[in-house]
Amino acid sequence: MAIKKTTIVGQSFPRVESNAKVMGAAQYVDDMQFGPNLLHGRLKRSTVPHAMIKRIDVSKARALPGVRVVVTGQDYPGLTGLYLSDRPTFAVDRVRWVGEPVAGVAADTPELAERACELIEVEYEELPGVFDPEFGASGAAPLLHPDLMDYAAVPFIFRQPGTNISNWFKVRKGDMEAGWAEAAHIYEHTYRVPHVQHVPLETHVAVAQVDGNGKITLWSASQSPFAQRNLIAKSLNISHSKLRVITPYIGGGFGAKAGVSMEGACVVMALNAKGRPVKLAMSRAEEFHTTFVRQGLVAKIKMGMTADGRITAMQNTYYWDGGAYTEYGVNITRAAGYSSTGPYFVPNVHADSLCVYTNHPVGGAMRGFGMPEIHWAIEQHIDRMATQLHLDPVQVRLLNCLKEGQETVTGMIMHPTGLSQCIAKAAEALDWETPSKPSGTGKRRGKGIAAMWKAPAMPPNPGSSSTIRFNEDGTCLVNIGGVDMGQGALTIAAQLAAEGLGIPIEDVRVNTVDTDYSPYEWQTVASRLTWSMGNAILRAADEAKTQIIQMVAEVWGEDPQDLDIIDGNVVSYATEESVPLKNIVVYGMQKPDGTWAGGPVVGKGRFMPTYVTPLDAETGQGPRAVVHFTTGAQAVEVEIDEETGEVQVLKLVSAYDVGKAINPDMVRTQMEGGAVQGLSTALLESIILRNGQPMNPSFTDYRIATAVDAPVEMVNIIVEVPQDDGPYGARGIGEHAMVPTAPAIANAVRAAVGVEIDSMPITSEKVWKGMKGQE
Amino acid sequence: MQPFDYIKPQTLEEASALLLQHNGQARPFAGCTDLLIRIERGFVHPQVVVDVKDLPGVHDLLVVRNGDLRIGAAVTMNQVALNPTVQSGWPLLAEGCGSVASYQLRNRATVGGNLCNASPAADSAPALICYGASVHIFGPDGPRTLPLEAFFLGPGRTALQAGELLTAITVPFVRGSAGHFLKLGRTTIGDISLMNVAVLGWPDSDVPSGSSWRIALGSVAPTVIRAPEAERLLSQDTSPAGLEAASQAAAAAARPIDDIRATAAYRSDMVRVLTRRGVERVLEEIGG
Amino acid sequence: MKHDITFTVNDESYSIAVESHHNLLRVLREQLVLTGTKNGCSEGECGACTVLLDGEPVNSCLVLGVEADGHAITTVEGLAVDGHLAPIQQTMVELGGTQCGFCTPGVLIASHALLLRNPDPSEAEIRAGLVGNLCRCTGYVRIVDAVREAARMQRTSVSPIP
Ligand SMILES: Cc1cc2nc3c(=O)[nH]c(=O)nc-3n(C[C@H](O)[C@H](O)[C@H](O)COP(=O)(O)OP(=O)(O)OC[C@H]3O[C@@H](n4cnc5c(N)ncnc54)[C@H](O)[C@@H]3O)c2cc1C
Ligand code: FES
Ligand code: FES
Repeated sequence: MAIKKTTIVGQSFPRVESNAKVMGAAQYVDDMQFGPNLLHGRLKRSTVPHAMIKRIDVSKARALPGVRVVVTGQDYPGLTGLYLSDRPTFAVDRVRWVGEPVAGVAADTPELAERACELIEVEYEELPGVFDPEFGASGAAPLLHPDLMDYAAVPFIFRQPGTNISNWFKVRKGDMEAGWAEAAHIYEHTYRVPHVQHVPLETHVAVAQVDGNGKITLWSASQSPFAQRNLIAKSLNISHSKLRVITPYIGGGFGAKAGVSMEGACVVMALNAKGRPVKLAMSRAEEFHTTFVRQGLVAKIKMGMTADGRITAMQNTYYWDGGAYTEYGVNITRAAGYSSTGPYFVPNVHADSLCVYTNHPVGGAMRGFGMPEIHWAIEQHIDRMATQLHLDPVQVRLLNCLKEGQETVTGMIMHPTGLSQCIAKAAEALDWETPSKPSGTGKRRGKGIAAMWKAPAMPPNPGSSSTIRFNEDGTCLVNIGGVDMGQGALTIAAQLAAEGLGIPIEDVRVNTVDTDYSPYEWQTVASRLTWSMGNAILRAADEAKTQIIQMVAEVWGEDPQDLDIIDGNVVSYATEESVPLKNIVVYGMQKPDGTWAGGPVVGKGRFMPTYVTPLDAETGQGPRAVVHFTTGAQAVEVEIDEETGEVQVLKLVSAYDVGKAINPDMVRTQMEGGAVQGLSTALLESIILRNGQPMNPSFTDYRIATAVDAPVEMVNIIVEVPQDDGPYGARGIGEHAMVPTAPAIANAVRAAVGVEIDSMPITSEKVWKGMKGQE
Repeated sequence: MQPFDYIKPQTLEEASALLLQHNGQARPFAGCTDLLIRIERGFVHPQVVVDVKDLPGVHDLLVVRNGDLRIGAAVTMNQVALNPTVQSGWPLLAEGCGSVASYQLRNRATVGGNLCNASPAADSAPALICYGASVHIFGPDGPRTLPLEAFFLGPGRTALQAGELLTAITVPFVRGSAGHFLKLGRTTIGDISLMNVAVLGWPDSDVPSGSSWRIALGSVAPTVIRAPEAERLLSQDTSPAGLEAASQAAAAAARPIDDIRATAAYRSDMVRVLTRRGVERVLEEIGG
Repeated sequence: MKHDITFTVNDESYSIAVESHHNLLRVLREQLVLTGTKNGCSEGECGACTVLLDGEPVNSCLVLGVEADGHAITTVEGLAVDGHLAPIQQTMVELGGTQCGFCTPGVLIASHALLLRNPDPSEAEIRAGLVGNLCRCTGYVRIVDAVREAARMQRTSVSPIP
């Protein structure tokens, strides 16, 4: 098929729903009205990190007037989890992290629910805890999940019986001895990443209600309405058709709202609420440590390089602090394994990525899905080695970065990629070669760069689907199962549908998700919507367009090949006749003989990758580990106060190969938002845990970047090396935008003041301490 | 949040009686930016909150006859920080109040509440201490006045007795003075102080260096403290060497702790750094 | 414990009874069903709940509902006039200052207030003026652009970017 010039794809339309958002009219779950009948849910949570539950007494809570529902783990013992079913809705006999729900209460007011929770008595018998993943993986650690091997799990994770290791992804590639022998320089170091939280501005919130037929409706601020339906239906042992999940606008997700965290508890309470709706909304404190967090990481990297900077071998061990339940984390561990070298060609690799149970908050998906964490280690390591060998970090990256046709760490052949271009352009835009002058005495400046890669991390076969229906006036409704959490999915869907159909974007409406009416979508994660759902939409558009053209061709007696839809009109290249879509897309068209053709136009499309192969459990090798990799680089310049250690990011350049920018401005806004989130985690963020107790679950002490902390200047560069199976060549960008930020900043700090920061975040105090150490 | 009642008394006597009557279960408030959070987090459980904003004189922000600044108990951080008279006569105070949180929070947060909350990190306190401010209190026995330094007893603890409330603050005018407030947070601005330093200096021909000084330190001790040795050293010598000695003396006066925000060692060294910077800037202005 | 209050919200007068422990945010969202104003923390940190109280921005989560008695409140729903978006609303749409949109109501009110007190803010003043409004999506770049552009529009009262 010859590629037609696009008119809507490639244009920067403002997002389609932004008017509603700036008027305060966009409805989020908490804005929906359920009437005075609404019950307010609240969870009683564990105050200890690891203990057996000796006794739960809910009688006082039950007796409190206005309390309508009290449930505990005894009532609903089923387990759930996306990749590994290890997580109860309410703890049954054992608690494994501070914040784990042990009971749920629904009452007439939030105040009553709070009071009722206080009245629930729980007696614990405390157990020794695991607060470090490396220790957790060792034989000395107490076992947190004695039943690990009995849990249901996907086939592509590898549990280790009798341990806390819920997945061990191994890479054994090439000849390590030869790799070390070839190296002129070998450097080994350990890096750490703390737990951080996604901090969506909207905390988790759900409302559930059961109707007279036993049908459950769940209104949920979710990235995964279909996955929630699946997981909750399975854990409650009910038919999928008995559960309906509705997701209106959501106030950010970043992975926190993928899968199921607190929504199951809301449903369980509703099942006991005699038909009244039950709302469960997380406080900001609960959001920080009881839904999902980003896993902590201890990364040990050993790398060999030739004198001219070629990487000869890499031995990496990643200990993931998966938390109390690793239902989601096991797949982050896997992603870290098949991406373990970073975006480089490395012939000899020995990598271990281990997911370890700890008595910490539950690790879930977060923007980047393990990549910001491992790149923190890899990208600093490569930079330090370049310096040790007196080589230029940009040149070392250009030399080693993966090029089309090279083998990745798992033996997959790299597809066409603009990685080299991204590295070169980012460096150029930062004026890499030229040092710039500090703003005053007592200040020092430095430049740093980091590259990245990331594949959509998901099962081999996550599906997307879409339907397109027309209205009488020629406008159409695009139904999707993907969620717009701010990344712009609705707008991209509208642009792709409009382009595919040949109608103006103003004539396209895209619906938010209702699993009873929206077509299936696996989850809104992995930066996969533009690519996967986009393909489904294009196919739906194609089918609808074919229906229209065939009808008109039949009526006009023309060859469908000669017809097209342009700007909402069917036109004939042969006769130059044209007819607007209005009416004909619903009522059909009358033929010259007075009979009719056509009928209501409905297009449907689906997409699922079918070509991903399993990887060998012992070597991690296989022909096609993933669908594709998005690659890119960021370069930053920082200025540091020599006395206080304060780091200011002056300029931040992002360059990513997105295949094709469906909406260039929206690509740029992803780059900006991701970079600032990356900057924020790099400089400020960590959930401070002391023996499992979260010390800072509030904005007071979990600071995130403000407008003042954002870089003084930002440059965004779009590289377009098309993806063979992407819509118009597109690949995802949502997550990638924050992957290299933290190591790029760390590298710039090192360049400026010579201080190496092994563990995130790069606080002023750490920089100060590093500089003191040099004195 | 557990329910409580709300009362807005019109007279000081009525307010004081209310506080006594509820026997510690009544809490006064002005901006409520501290109190509501403490209730929400379950640290305090008042039965009634007493709004001070209708009490006489609490909205005063004026210069009284002897040249002192009077700040009523309900005057907000923004009212102080953005007031031209304060900016010119008490710039150190304007800086301190202007450094609190965000613009919208400063529209509610009051200086009085900041003092009664008695956090060692209270950003208005170091400046007020440098100016030698006093607080006016009304209680069952009528009004009394205390120097601010005697008002703070420890973190969250003040000299207020049962039934007492703060009604106003007076801030003496220090002729010829210049001052700066320097604060270190984790985010560039708007954060709670990891530590802070207020420096006030004025020409004084009676001392060897030609200038007298007051230095107050926040978040490095159970209450905001003075650094008397540093002040003394500066009155002797403001040469670069004198300045360094004074900064070190200020750091030595600090008795910080390690907490999740920073270590004691970092805080102490930052006292040294920010004191020196503050003094340097003040010297430029008063001509040292 | 209920208290009768009379106040105006977006120029409309209301006389209602509010619980003494309900904050203004809750009164607006639950009693008046003006759900544009958002709750992102309940602790004065995020700014999603920012409204104007007698023309000045405040965190409505830290104002008691009863305290609104006799005062005038403006929420995000009150920014547009006769269905015409205010300049800052227009520029936020055009320049892409909103993503998930959850911070947007508070950002709009804070920006609107900033422009009322400073019609020609510098970049640094805009950033500092928004320090009490957390946004996790945009990286602030477009928000700052939108405020700058709205300021320009208001000063020159040119019509918005087409
Ligand atoms: C997001 C956020 C950020 C903050 N950042 C800062 C910061 O950067 N720097 C800083 O210093 N503070 C900060 N604070 C703390 C707080 O805002 C200030 O302490 C503020 O000045 C308190 O004033 P208020 O009027 O709101 O106090 P309120 O909450 O009204 O009262 C505070 C305390 O004082 C008592 N009280 C109030 N008025 C009286 C009175 N007249 N007589 C007797 N007792 C009284 C109350 O009972 C209460 O215990 C922050 C708070 C928040 C929520
Ligand atoms: S909800 Fe009020 S500031 Fe966050
Ligand atoms: S747009 Fe999502 S938080 Fe600002």
